[in-house]
Amino acid sequence: MRHNTPKKTDTGRRSFLRNMGIFTAAGTLAACGAKTPTDGDNGDAKKGGMTMRVNPNSGDSVSLLGFGGMRFPTLGAANGTDNTTLDQEAVNQLIDHALEHGVNYFDTSPAYCKGQSEAALGTALSRHPRKSYFIATKLSNFDESTWPHDKSVGMFEASLRNLKTDYIDYLLLHGIGMGGMANFNGRYIDNGVLDFLKEKRADGTIRNLGFSYHGDIEVFDHLLAMMDKGEIHWDFAQIQMNYIDWQHAKEINQRNTDAEYLYGELHRRGIPAVVMEPLLGGRLASASQPITRKMKERRPDDSVASWAFRYAGTPEGILTVLSGMTCMEHLEDNLKTFSPLQPLDDDENAFLLRTAVEILENDTVPCTACKYCMPCPYGVDIPGVFAHYNRCIEEDNLPRDISDPQYAKARRAFLYGYDRSVPRLRQAARCIGCGACVSHCPQNITIPAWLGKINSYTEKLRSENID
Amino acid sequence: MKSHSLKYLRLVAAALCLAVAIVLFADFSGTTARYLAAFAKMQFVPALLAVNFLVLLFLIALTLIFGRLYCSVLCPLGITQDLIAWFRRVFSKKTKRRIGLHRYQQPNKAWRYGFLALFAILFVGGLASLIPMSYAGLLDPYSIFGRITAQSVVPAWRTLADSAASSLADKGIYPFASIPSAYAVVSYTVSAIAVISFIAIAVFAWRTGRGYCNTVCPVGTILGFLSRFSLLKPVIDTDKCNRCGSCGRKCKSSCIDTKNHVIDYSRCVVCMDCINNCSQGAISYRIARKAQKAEKGSGIDKGRRTFIIGTSIAAGTLASAAAGKVTDGGLAPLKQKQRRKGLIPAVPAGAISLQHFRNHCTACQLCVSQCPNEVLKPGISLDGFMQPVMTFTDGFCRPECTRCGQVCPTGAIKPIDTAEKSSIKTGSAKVDLSICISAAYGQKCGSCARHCPADAISMVKGENGNLRPTVDESRCIGCGACEYHCPSGTVGQLRADHAAIYVDGLRTHQTV
Repeated sequence: MRHNTPKKTDTGRRSFLRNMGIFTAAGTLAACGAKTPTDGDNGDAKKGGMTMRVNPNSGDSVSLLGFGGMRFPTLGAANGTDNTTLDQEAVNQLIDHALEHGVNYFDTSPAYCKGQSEAALGTALSRHPRKSYFIATKLSNFDESTWPHDKSVGMFEASLRNLKTDYIDYLLLHGIGMGGMANFNGRYIDNGVLDFLKEKRADGTIRNLGFSYHGDIEVFDHLLAMMDKGEIHWDFAQIQMNYIDWQHAKEINQRNTDAEYLYGELHRRGIPAVVMEPLLGGRLASASQPITRKMKERRPDDSVASWAFRYAGTPEGILTVLSGMTCMEHLEDNLKTFSPLQPLDDDENAFLLRTAVEILENDTVPCTACKYCMPCPYGVDIPGVFAHYNRCIEEDNLPRDISDPQYAKARRAFLYGYDRSVPRLRQAARCIGCGACVSHCPQNITIPAWLGKINSYTEKLRSENID
Repeated sequence: MKSHSLKYLRLVAAALCLAVAIVLFADFSGTTARYLAAFAKMQFVPALLAVNFLVLLFLIALTLIFGRLYCSVLCPLGITQDLIAWFRRVFSKKTKRRIGLHRYQQPNKAWRYGFLALFAILFVGGLASLIPMSYAGLLDPYSIFGRITAQSVVPAWRTLADSAASSLADKGIYPFASIPSAYAVVSYTVSAIAVISFIAIAVFAWRTGRGYCNTVCPVGTILGFLSRFSLLKPVIDTDKCNRCGSCGRKCKSSCIDTKNHVIDYSRCVVCMDCINNCSQGAISYRIARKAQKAEKGSGIDKGRRTFIIGTSIAAGTLASAAAGKVTDGGLAPLKQKQRRKGLIPAVPAGAISLQHFRNHCTACQLCVSQCPNEVLKPGISLDGFMQPVMTFTDGFCRPECTRCGQVCPTGAIKPIDTAEKSSIKTGSAKVDLSICISAAYGQKCGSCARHCPADAISMVKGENGNLRPTVDESRCIGCGACEYHCPSGTVGQLRADHAAIYVDGLRTHQTV
C-alpha cells in the first residue's frame, strides 16, 4: 500500500525510475556517483571487520564478499561516451580499497569485459603481494573454436599471463550446463581438457578446481555423480543463488534450477559454494515501494541490496558471495554489509522468502526504454506499455486483491492510465507475437510473453463490472 | 396547494427530468444507467413499442387526471422547447415581453392530423416490417431528443471528461476506468438529422412556443385527445377576468381564446404560466366548474439559466472533439480499420433478430451513447436508417457487458444477463484467407485465436503449409474480438483495409 509517501512530480519519479532501470540493467546496486543516503551514517566499514569463511579443502580463509570482475568501470562510464575500454585507474582504486578492507577473493574470466577483465584485474592486483588475495578465473567455453586441447591450454596460459601470476587459486569450468551434456563432453571431456586441468591441480598451478553452473540440471547432477564415483574431486562450485532463485528459479528462467537444490547437493558433499548473481542481475538492488518500506521498517539504515547479500552470505556452506562492483559506492555499501555480515535470523529469512513471492507477483519488466525494439511492425508502443505497467507496480496501483478497499481505485488508475499513456491500438492487445522485437532487446526481455501477460491482466480488469 | 406555486413545482420537476435524460445519455461509466434507464422507458412511443402496459396506463391516467403534464415535465424535447421559448423572452424587448409574445391561434387540425396519420403510417409500416421503425422515430419526440443529445452533449462531455480526468490523473485522482472516444457516437447521418431536427424545433419554439408539440408531435396529438377530458385543468373565472388578454399572449401553446374565455385543452400542456400571469387571479388549476381562488405571482428560473449556460459550453467544446490524435514518430503508422461491406448487420444479443430490432428501434441513440466498448454505432443504410449496428473496428462486444439491453426503452434490445449473453450467437466469424497475414504470408500471428473469448478459433495448417484460422461455428457467438484484434486493416504497412477475420451477422440469433 502506498500511504504517506512524499509527493513527487510524475516526471521526476519516472525519470528516476528510468535511471534506476538503466543502472539496475547494468547490474549495479546503487546509483553510481551519488552517495547513498546511508553512507557515512555509521562510518566506513571497519578495516579488518570482514567476515571470513574457511575453505575446508584448502584451509584458505576467504572473504565472504568476493569481487566480481564482470562489470569493471569503463572509460565511457566516466566521460559519458560509449567507450567500452576499461578505466584502469578506476579499477585500481576499487581493488585497492577492497583489499584494504579485507576482500581477498577476485573472480574474473577470459570472456569478461570484452576480454579485458583478466588483464585489468591482473594489473591492479600485481601491485599487491600475491599471497594477500585469491584469484578465480575460468576456462571459458564461449566458442567451439576454443575447444581443441591446444587452444584450451593456450587460454589457460593466457590467463596466467594476463593475471601476472604463475598459479590460479580457483579455476572454474565455465558455464557448465549451457548446451547440455553434449557441450560439456565436447568442451572438457573428449578433448582431454579436464585431465589437463587435473594435472595442473596436481602440480600446484591450480590450487582449487571447480565449476560454475548455469542451465541444464543434467550436467550439474552428472558432475556431482562423477565426484560420488571418485572420478574427480571438486574443490568448490559456483551457483546462482538469491532469495528468488532459492525456490522460484524457473519463474525467472525456465532453464534454471532452484538454488535450494543446488546448494543442498553441494553442501551435502561438503563442496563450498561460491554465489553468483546474488542480486539477480541487479533486480534485487531495488524494490517496489511497499517492499522497500517493509525492509526499511526492519533495518532503516540498510540498503535494499544488503538484504540480498545477507541472504546469500548466511548459509554456512557459502564460501564467498560475488558482487560485480562498478563504482566505489557499490563497494562501500557492500563492505558495510559484510563487515561483519549479520546472518539472517529465521524470521528475516521467512520475510525474504515471502518477499520473493511478492516480487514475482509484482514484477516489473526490466525495460530501460532504449527503444531498440521499435518500431514494432504492428504498431505496439512496447516501451510505453512497459513503462505504464512498471509505473503502476512502483506506485502500488497494480490491483490484485478484489477485497482490498483500494482495489477499485487502483483498477481505475491502471485502466485509465493505460488508455491515457498508450492509445488502444498501440496497447499490448495488438501484439501478434511475431517476435521481431525479441532479438533487438539488450535486456533479453521476452517481449511478446510480457505483452501477453500484461494484456491478460488488463483484460481481466476490464472484464470486471465494478465502477 | 396554492395555484401559483404549481408553476414552480412544474419547473423543478421538468428541470429534474431533463437532467435525468441528459445524464442518462452522457454518463458513459455505467454507474447511473441502471437507475436512470427507467426514465427512457417512461417515454410514450418507446413504451408503446415495448408494449409496456404499466407505463402506458400510467401515462393515460396521468393525462386524464392532470392534462398534458407529460409534455411539460416528462418529455425532454418539450422541456427543451420551453428553454428556447424562454430564451426568446429573455432576448426580446422589454415592452414586448410585458405584453406577451404569442397570440391565440385556431388549432391547425389539417397539419395536426396529417402528421399523426403520417406517424401512424410509418409506425404501422415499421411493425409490418415494410420499413425500419426509425422512420417513425423521426417524429417521436424522445428519439429526436436522443439524437440531438447523442450528437452534441455526449461527445462534448466525453471530450471534457477526458481532459479533466487527464489533469486529475496527474494528481493521482482517477474518476473513471475508461472514457470512450468522443467520435464513437458521432455519425454524419445522425448528425445531419439531429441538426435538421434541432433547427426545425428551435425555429418552431422560437416563433410559436409549443407550436411543434401542437402541430407535428404525434404524442402531443394523441395525448391531446385525452387531455380534453382531464379532471384537473386551468379554468378562467369569468367573474374575475377583466379581458386583458395577457394570459393568451403569454401562452406558449397559443391555446387560450381570451375573447371567449375558452382554453383548448387538447393543446394546453398545463405549464401553469397563465395562472401566474393573470393579474386578476382569474385562472386556477382545478376540477372544472369548482372555482378556486388563485393568487398572482411571478418569478424567474435560475436553475434553468444555469442549465442553458452549461449546455452552450458543452456545445462549444464539441468542435474540439473532432481533432485527431497525435502519435509519436517512432511508431509504425496505423490506419482506421474499415468494416467490410455487404455483410448482414450484426445487432446486439437481446435483439432477438434483425427483424425484431428493425421493427422496434426508433434510433434514439441511447445504446450507442451507453456502449462502453465503442461497438454500437448508428448505421447509415436506408433499410436500417440510423439504427445502431455492431461494428468491431474500435472495440468488441465484451462478454461481461449487457448495458444496451439494460437501457433500451423500446424493447428492440431486450435486457439479458451475462449468462444468457454468453450463449447467444449474434453472428459468425468468417475468414478472408487472402489478406490473413498468417495464411497468406506465413507470418506468425494467431491473434484472433488468442483473443477469442469463446475458444472458437483454432489455427490449423492450410493447403500452402501456413497456419490459418478456422472457426468453430458452434462456439462462435459473434462478439467480434477476432475482427477487432486482427492486425489486417489496422497496420499501415499492410495493404488491406479490412480485417481478415470478420463477423457476419445472423438474421435470427441462435442459442449455442
